[in-house]
Amino acid sequence: MKDLKHLYYFENLLNDANNELVKQAQAEGGLAIGYTCFHMPEVLLNLGKCFSVRLRAPNMGSMEIATYYMSSGSCEYSRALLERAMEGNYKFLDAMAGIDVCEAMNRCMENMELLNIQGEDKKKFFWSNLDIPCSDDEDCVKHVVEQVSRKVLRPLHENYGVDISDSEIRKAVAEHNEVCRLITEIGNFRKLDNPTITGYEFHILTLATYVCPKYLIVDKLRETLEELKTREPDKKKNFRAKVVVVGSEIDDPELISLIEDSGALVVADRFCYGSFPGRQEIELNDDEDALTQVCRRYLRDTECPRQCAPHKVQYRYDRAEQLVKDFHADGIIYEQMKFCTYWSFERTLASHVLPEEYGIPALSIDRPYRSGMSGQLRTRIQAFVESLEIKKIKAKRAAKSQEVK
Amino acid sequence: MKYFGGCDVGSTYTKAVILDENGKIVADTTIRSKINSGESAQAAMEDVISKVSGLNGIEDLAYLIGTGYGRNKVPQAQENISEISCHAMGVHVTNPNVKAIIDIGGQDVKGISVDSDGTVKTFAMNDKCAAGTGRFFEAMARAFEMSIDEFSNLSLSAKNVIPITAQCTVFAESEVITLVGEGKPRDEIAAGIQQAVAKRCFVMAKKAGAKDSITLTGGCAKNAGLKKAIEHVLRIKVIELSTDPQLMGALGAAEYARQKGME
Repeated sequence: MKDLKHLYYFENLLNDANNELVKQAQAEGGLAIGYTCFHMPEVLLNLGKCFSVRLRAPNMGSMEIATYYMSSGSCEYSRALLERAMEGNYKFLDAMAGIDVCEAMNRCMENMELLNIQGEDKKKFFWSNLDIPCSDDEDCVKHVVEQVSRKVLRPLHENYGVDISDSEIRKAVAEHNEVCRLITEIGNFRKLDNPTITGYEFHILTLATYVCPKYLIVDKLRETLEELKTREPDKKKNFRAKVVVVGSEIDDPELISLIEDSGALVVADRFCYGSFPGRQEIELNDDEDALTQVCRRYLRDTECPRQCAPHKVQYRYDRAEQLVKDFHADGIIYEQMKFCTYWSFERTLASHVLPEEYGIPALSIDRPYRSGMSGQLRTRIQAFVESLEIKKIKAKRAAKSQEVK
Repeated sequence: MKYFGGCDVGSTYTKAVILDENGKIVADTTIRSKINSGESAQAAMEDVISKVSGLNGIEDLAYLIGTGYGRNKVPQAQENISEISCHAMGVHVTNPNVKAIIDIGGQDVKGISVDSDGTVKTFAMNDKCAAGTGRFFEAMARAFEMSIDEFSNLSLSAKNVIPITAQCTVFAESEVITLVGEGKPRDEIAAGIQQAVAKRCFVMAKKAGAKDSITLTGGCAKNAGLKKAIEHVLRIKVIELSTDPQLMGALGAAEYARQKGME
């Protein structure tokens, strides 16, 4: 396929947390609000002059210093963030909307705060640490509304004078939805028999929407969507099987590239930093305040295995099955970052439940934060692709012999 | 007569097998891998081809498949297939009754469940750590100042087992040196090492669905001490293969090449 016109541009934006668009937005008076997790309603960090930056750790080398502070048993994402924080990578932030959802990230945030990673000159800088419940009933929604109001919205207003009114939230939701619509439409090209966008390209675009001010990338996303409408796929398919990737944090496009180099086209991305559920639109009505509706939506739609109520577990299995159907996938890759407590349990269980109860082939992998060079991972994925191919061949043979009978 | 090749470029050894149209092995070779996978494959293929009269070069093969760590570096190969699929097929054509495999290579351990047609049912693989792999045994043999072959048989005479607690290659080597320094019987220390690796294989065997029997492939399959420890720890029979177990990857690749080349 012909290269996407803006792919190189988007790739470059991922090479530094403080990328050129973040710098531009701050130069225009914008406030960069860092966050790490879906449970922090991203849209509420985009009120007025604020813009959200979901933290990644590009250019990460050794994590020795962070490991000293956090132990080698903590997930590498949290350690990578701390390491890069200590190297001054997030000094540009104006606030950090942290969240109490896992022990590793708590420790990461705690260390960042103790080590004063934002420096001395940011007098209005604030840290938040939201308590998020493990279910999604109305009491839980009320709790999140209270937490967000007190720990994020109030300091934004008091420290920086940000307008946190209902109308401002609705405006932010409209901007958020525009980006989600574009990403969804672009993602729908992955449903084609011979998709006109690869999983790698899609992941690059999606990642950019998490780490850049949205108003500065929306034009190029629109152009990319238009480009895709006429993009010709290669005549010969460049993949041997289609897979849905389900699991924990992936902000490393090289991992998606490795999967695709091994023969599996990634057609749907249900992981932290993926488009499901992070790039699904937020529907608001006029009968209730926007803040409550936003908080309810994030609690309801989270697919993090931290939510351990039985109906949430079932919801995640059903969602994975639905993605396989919607995107015509041949199987699922359940992935987990090493030492992610929640996903280690979910991955192990789901990689049995999906094949045995839903009839969907699944590969289970755990991986480090950066895994693009892993030969062992490549072998596992290629073997999975081969087994998917063989299943297809066997099914065809069985259908043929049925016809003969 | 058409000939079909399989080349398994492993991290430690590179193996090549040539089959005739009937699936009979007409030549094989095993050489130490070089730092460059492409050069290893080239050398192995030149060697194996020189053993077959009527073959002058790789281009004379009807079909060639690469497998192993350097599978995409095999010169003139029509395609590459993962070593997991190839080991399953190699074992299947050697003994169709085998349904579960533990493949212990130079840098990884795999558990493979084989379907009735030689394809893979399920598989499991160790992570990045080299514990319990060929590299681990090389380090242990070094600690005993022995060759790999000598070390493989050392534990067979042990009356007791001295447990080794460390699984990490580096820490295990240090633990072994300490035990040797304390004057503990060497064969009993070696038995402890074999038992530690066998326990690691237990996990892979379970994941591969092993029930009453299993076979070992890869270079470490020739380790008599390990075989004995696995039978003891897993409490299942280890089926010996009639063909060199180290060749199973290359044999499976050659068999896939034969099937594709005969289509």
